[in-house]
Amino acid sequence: MSLLQVKGLRRDFGALRAVDDVTFELDAGTILGFIGPNGAGKSTTMRIIATLDTPTSGEVLLDGQSLVDSPDKARPLIGYMPDRYGTYDDVTVWEFLDFFARAYGLKGEARKKRVASVMEFTGLVPLKDKLTSALSKGMRQRVALGRTLLHDPKLLILDEPADGLDPRARIELRELLRALADQGKAVLISSHILTELAEICDTCAIIEQGRLLATGKVADLLAQSQTGTGTELTVRLAVAPGAEGDAAYERTEKVLLEQPRVGQVVREPGAIRVRLELEPGATRSQVDEAAARLLAALVGAGVPVCAFSHRELNLEDAFMTVTKGRVA
Amino acid sequence: MSAPVEAMAPASLSERLGDRINPLVVKEIRQGLRTRVFWVCFGLMLLACVLLSLMAYADVKDGGYRARGQVYFFTYFVCLGLVHFFVIPYSAYRSLAREREDETWVLLALTGLGPRRILRGKMTSFLAQAGLYASAVGPFLLFSYYLNGIDLPTILTVLALGAAWLVFLTVLGVCAATLADGRLGRAFVHFLVLGMLAAGVAQGLGAAFALSEGGSRLMRDTDFLYAVGISLWLMLSYGWLLFESAAARLSLITEDYSRGPRRAIVIQVLVSAVIVAALWWIKGEEREIATVAGVAGCLHLTVSGLFIISDVDGQARALRAKTRGWSLLRPGAVRGFRLTVLLIAGWSFLCAMLGWNSDDKELQWRSMLYVTIAAAAYPILYFAVAILVGKMPRSDRFSSPAMVRILFVSLAGLGALLPPLLSLLVDEPADNGLINLLNPIVGLVNFGTHEYSLSQPKMTVELLGFLCVVAALAAFAADRTLLERERRAHSS
Repeated sequence: MSLLQVKGLRRDFGALRAVDDVTFELDAGTILGFIGPNGAGKSTTMRIIATLDTPTSGEVLLDGQSLVDSPDKARPLIGYMPDRYGTYDDVTVWEFLDFFARAYGLKGEARKKRVASVMEFTGLVPLKDKLTSALSKGMRQRVALGRTLLHDPKLLILDEPADGLDPRARIELRELLRALADQGKAVLISSHILTELAEICDTCAIIEQGRLLATGKVADLLAQSQTGTGTELTVRLAVAPGAEGDAAYERTEKVLLEQPRVGQVVREPGAIRVRLELEPGATRSQVDEAAARLLAALVGAGVPVCAFSHRELNLEDAFMTVTKGRVA
Repeated sequence: MSAPVEAMAPASLSERLGDRINPLVVKEIRQGLRTRVFWVCFGLMLLACVLLSLMAYADVKDGGYRARGQVYFFTYFVCLGLVHFFVIPYSAYRSLAREREDETWVLLALTGLGPRRILRGKMTSFLAQAGLYASAVGPFLLFSYYLNGIDLPTILTVLALGAAWLVFLTVLGVCAATLADGRLGRAFVHFLVLGMLAAGVAQGLGAAFALSEGGSRLMRDTDFLYAVGISLWLMLSYGWLLFESAAARLSLITEDYSRGPRRAIVIQVLVSAVIVAALWWIKGEEREIATVAGVAGCLHLTVSGLFIISDVDGQARALRAKTRGWSLLRPGAVRGFRLTVLLIAGWSFLCAMLGWNSDDKELQWRSMLYVTIAAAAYPILYFAVAILVGKMPRSDRFSSPAMVRILFVSLAGLGALLPPLLSLLVDEPADNGLINLLNPIVGLVNFGTHEYSLSQPKMTVELLGFLCVVAALAAFAADRTLLERERRAHSS
């Protein structure tokens, strides 16, 4: 049984339906990326799972227990980090973590050990006596993550944790999250930086207008995006730049346009982008077969092809394919 | 890192004591003592007291008897009062407002501390800081006793009332911090708090001046002691009500947020009823006491009740199982409305009974009785109408808590303004009794008016009966509407 089960979740704010029939699961030891445009319902869903809000209908089970019916019992199992890190001025890193450890009910020596272990895990030991207001954004984010871990939750909910971080801090965050997943924690993370999510997450859920449009492993989502009516190929020719090269590219364009299933052909400096028009739901092997036929046609026509490749699609492409840019 | 916390060696006594303290107290005191505000205020206050003491020494050094104690006591108290009545409540306000602005409040709420414990922690930490300030001024206040002219009971009374005023203003500041969510609202509340605290300082220092000047003469006056007792009760009960309201506003929707404030208001009404009955009996069963208490109590319950009746429809799933039909303290507009109607009607009934049983045979006794009853009928009527207008349609456009409050104020305003205009249009006096029957202001005044020329009340008992029946029918309809909306909210 999955650690987190979200079933038919709906949340209305008056006439506005912010979350509409959202269903997904999250296993222990996995990281799920929650992707969607602004206003899609990500934060509302996360707030419901964090027990900060209550759904209009639907069910959320954490470790088999309804957190809609018994939020008090579920809270100790959840670590929530909102999009604002929420640190205090005029307290040191150690004091901040010690305060929250006290708030979570940890006492005496146990509290000290727990704070020390969290500081060690998040790499905050050298900064323990620094005021949180004097820390960089990346370090403050670590402090916030440390706070989230103090009560050793099973589920971590991180709302836009990589927002505003520099590349180094992002890489460090990625490593921390991977380490947490390896410890068996389930991580639900939302972010606008989709390339980051692709590298961190095991599974992704794409939400738009409150509805879950796609969910599954990142590789499967990418494969889904690469199939269907919009597969892109890039063709490069072994020609010298100049008039002779231009003529070769023009001839190649004509050849391409004569081929079946070729939709759009776009000339770019030193390359041609070709869009294959395939039947909806075409599989990866069918795409590969069509590409191979096209390559054979080009070679047969004497086109000096030196590079012929699928453009590697990323999570952004999957996101753009699935969503339509609407907000709830 | 993820290993659970193992059993540890027994902690020392100080650590065990430290563990028992509210975490907020530890954090806030740590933060507070690092701020510039604390050290600047502390330093300035101490410096001012030292300078005043030097002046006092110069004033009395020739050895002759001079009663300078009152003056110096008050000037020392001003130094303390500025900090206690302004800096401390304002700092408490800012501290909680910042928690909400920075959304650290959400993190605290999830720790399981609970809003009440968090607010208690905030209050305690700021009162502890106030204690630190007081410890600096305390010796100087005592020194003023040796300057003659002021006795110890007066000093202690001023300090005790000052402490109560400090607690009340601090609760007020904390409660204000929970009021607004938007940026504009916060700015408005900020200025409101500054204004309130400025008035609080003026009132606190003014009272301290009057008390230190009046001294032992006032202490022997029974009415003064009554006034002090009532002031303390008002500060205590309103402070508690404000505290519970703040906790309710900070509660998560899955928590039983309404229990605290509703319980506070019920206890406030019950204790006030006992106090009013006791005062009425001690003062020789005066009818005025019953009438004034009836009208003032209904007015208070109208203002407080407005926030109770405008609760949201229904309640979170986690709360529904424990809610019974008589659970009037649990969340939901329908239970809030019923509780408010019961409190207003009950209060009015009690005061009317006291008035009825009063011994004095004044001419206007019937008018006084009528106004006590009408003071309950009008708010019930207008609460019900606001609910019917806001919540009867299936649309949610006017059903939000804020909309219901706006509707109540607007409808009561229209009800107060239109009938007098209508009276003038039909060439009747503006305060015509029949046309203004449903007017919450003029109608109330009419019910309290006695026509001495005719030796009878201006309004008849039949008109009062009609008003009560209309209010009861409207309340019944509003109750059914709220019940239906709750059913709808729970069925989705």
